[in-house]
Amino acid sequence: MKISVNVNGRNVDADVEPRKLLVDFIRDDLHLTGTHVGCDTSSCGACTVLLDGVAVKSCTMFAVQANNRNITTIEGLSKGDELHRLQSAFIEEGGLQCGYCTPGMIMTSAWLLSNNAAPTEEEIRNGISGNLCRCTGYDSIIRSIQKASSDRRGGRK
Amino acid sequence: MEATERFVRGKGRYVGDIELPGTLHLAIIRSKYARARLLRVEGGISGRDLSAVIPDVGEGARGESWKIKQPVFATGQVNYLGQPVAAVYADNKYLAEDLMDSVDVSYEPMQPVLDEQEAMTAEPIHPGLNSNVATDQFIGKDFEEKDAEVVLDDAFKIGRIATDPIETRGILVNYDGSRLNVWVSTQAMFSIRNGLCATLGLPITSVRVMQADTGGAFGSKSAMYPEYAIAAFVSMKTRRPVKWLESRKEHLTASRPGRGVSGSMKLFAKRDGTVIGLKGEIIVNGGAYLDGLARFSPMFIGMQLTGPYAIRNGYIRAISVVTNTPPLGPYRGAGRPEAAFFRERMMDLLADELKLDPAEIRIKNATDQVFTNPFGMRIIGSRQFMTEAFDSLEYYKLAREPNGRRGVGISCFVLVPALMEGESCKLKVDNGRIKAWLGGNSHGQAHEVFVRKLIGSTLDVSTGVVDVQPGDTDMITSGVGVWGSRSAIVAGYATVLASQTLKEKVVKTKGLYTPEYLLAGNYEAEVLNEKFDDPSLNSFGANLVTVDVDELGEVTVEECRSYYDVGNALNREMVKGQIAGGMAQGISSVLYEGLIFSKDGTLLTDSIASAGVPPARELPHFVTGITEHPSSLPHGAKGVGEAPTIGVPPALVRAIEKATGVRIRNIPIHPEVLIGPKK
Repeated sequence: MKISVNVNGRNVDADVEPRKLLVDFIRDDLHLTGTHVGCDTSSCGACTVLLDGVAVKSCTMFAVQANNRNITTIEGLSKGDELHRLQSAFIEEGGLQCGYCTPGMIMTSAWLLSNNAAPTEEEIRNGISGNLCRCTGYDSIIRSIQKASSDRRGGRK
Repeated sequence: MEATERFVRGKGRYVGDIELPGTLHLAIIRSKYARARLLRVEGGISGRDLSAVIPDVGEGARGESWKIKQPVFATGQVNYLGQPVAAVYADNKYLAEDLMDSVDVSYEPMQPVLDEQEAMTAEPIHPGLNSNVATDQFIGKDFEEKDAEVVLDDAFKIGRIATDPIETRGILVNYDGSRLNVWVSTQAMFSIRNGLCATLGLPITSVRVMQADTGGAFGSKSAMYPEYAIAAFVSMKTRRPVKWLESRKEHLTASRPGRGVSGSMKLFAKRDGTVIGLKGEIIVNGGAYLDGLARFSPMFIGMQLTGPYAIRNGYIRAISVVTNTPPLGPYRGAGRPEAAFFRERMMDLLADELKLDPAEIRIKNATDQVFTNPFGMRIIGSRQFMTEAFDSLEYYKLAREPNGRRGVGISCFVLVPALMEGESCKLKVDNGRIKAWLGGNSHGQAHEVFVRKLIGSTLDVSTGVVDVQPGDTDMITSGVGVWGSRSAIVAGYATVLASQTLKEKVVKTKGLYTPEYLLAGNYEAEVLNEKFDDPSLNSFGANLVTVDVDELGEVTVEECRSYYDVGNALNREMVKGQIAGGMAQGISSVLYEGLIFSKDGTLLTDSIASAGVPPARELPHFVTGITEHPSSLPHGAKGVGEAPTIGVPPALVRAIEKATGVRIRNIPIHPEVLIGPKK
């Protein structure tokens, strides 16, 4: 099936099998390998992207369902060399170890902050509970998100 | 670009991200049964095409594998759910999965043996064996019991757990006509190289293994596995690159899980709380095929049973058995958490029996000087550490607070790092920069940070001139791997020694050392250091956990604190990150995780969610306290990675016990045992 999607600000026309998952379209056809696969039950969130600004697990959708919609992947979050404030905060607060869950975690966090500029710790814990991290115990991820939210409130970046 | 920056940008290069033109995708047809006769396999490639066995490499390898060897493909009989039976390949993974239907397999199911205690008396699972007992040894020395004023016995069980890194296993193999070029997600690239060579009968020089960015491992990524041999075989057969990426469902049976141990303990003490001896029996569920780690595991658990205490007598029967479950592997701690759980449960029982405070009884049995336990393990004096730890953890304050359905638990342990075989480091100075290679590389521990720091401080150069290279078996002669809380110690020491060798080389050519002389020249040094025998490398730890348990059996962890001696912390933030992440695993190994099989051997926990990997809302904030008593090595490092999975479970279990009045003997805890009013 022919689809037309906007990915990270770029229009893409593609011919995809109806059964192809959105995550495989992103990774295998568009070669945007920052979006990861960590499970087969939509539990881990490593494949999270923004679809029209809303966080979705790209393993739960077919590529054809993204027709005429806007997708933002981790590669589209930074502006060239300049990191998104969440990306900087994850580095500064040690919000990652192996790095595998990180892109999905950051995309979910971006969506969380777009809905709630100053979430409490509990709101962050609930907000990222669709994303699993096996390395950090989440404390440093929560600090990273808090830092990114206070950076914005403080008017930086 | 720094690894962390690559990762936050989505520019990691995990094995699934590496694309080679013309790659074939492999799919594995796996046994649907825990135990069955394999009547027919038609289609795909199978044991008829590739008849080979998996060698003993990786963490805990003992050189020789056991008499029943794990085949690459099962033939005649399948012995665990998920065991590879056949494989297919196609141009993409969708087509490969379609092709799986073209393979016709028929089974005649048999009654499986799943549990280690059941295996002791059940009929042997492997044809030709007399018993399921693989190893059965006594360690320590039998002793008189007549001096004991108090004798307590109890029995415990720790269930199997999947390691569940968020990146599952994966491999990409490209046979170029003369060599196998391998990219793999691993903790031990040399184990994978040696494993492929042994399985396929290839010379060492014909395999190059490159470690891709590795998205966690926790023990399961150091062993040789059937899928690696199959991918290499298909690449050699087709002369095309071959990729295999494990699904999560596969991971839960095809990757080696950890734990799975029963222990019965008998503790002998005086009424003043002095423990005079320990007897017991350890039975380790080794799974369907036992490698060196599985066979050594019961002894390893046994020898750590005295922990930080000066217990002079010990006599332990250490048994490993085969069962119809996936072969046992290491999971963060690998024997250490099991020993700590059994021992700390007995110390709490003794405290209750004598109506003494659990902290008091622990300090009472601590040592003031170097102590050799009945199994030959040496520890340094633990008393001062313990006294400091209980203060720092605020145990006395928290234990006095009114409890209701709240409870406080503590634990103490000694972390024995895996130092055997040492580690390697190679440094090369060229064009004003220093390139560094390690024999064992990061899968989330950021080795590059301590390597740069140690090179910088030893050679008096800026860390900015150091480039830590990805793991590559062609670039360094030998190496070991990343496990057993070892890297800061062994890889750190190798880095210091290699740096010192560079220094000596500069002195030899220039008469004296200056950083300018070094960076202006071309120098190379490679070191593999193997000898470590120093009790100062064992480090002490203590944990405190407080919980609230409601009448429905729901446990809320309120406080989870550590006090660990981490030696000279090479990077405090990373040490604390390791502790927080490990404490999360310690909590979930008690409350949430587990691989549960039905009686007929069906896996009931077949997703990452049902296997219990917890999200943020199920975990508390962690208090990561450390103390730094440097080891005797020049860089002062000790181990830390496994400390939290050792120390948290016994403290958490005690806290639950205090909150509910229910004596806890088995983990993971099923909430139904906690339901109801306080007992």
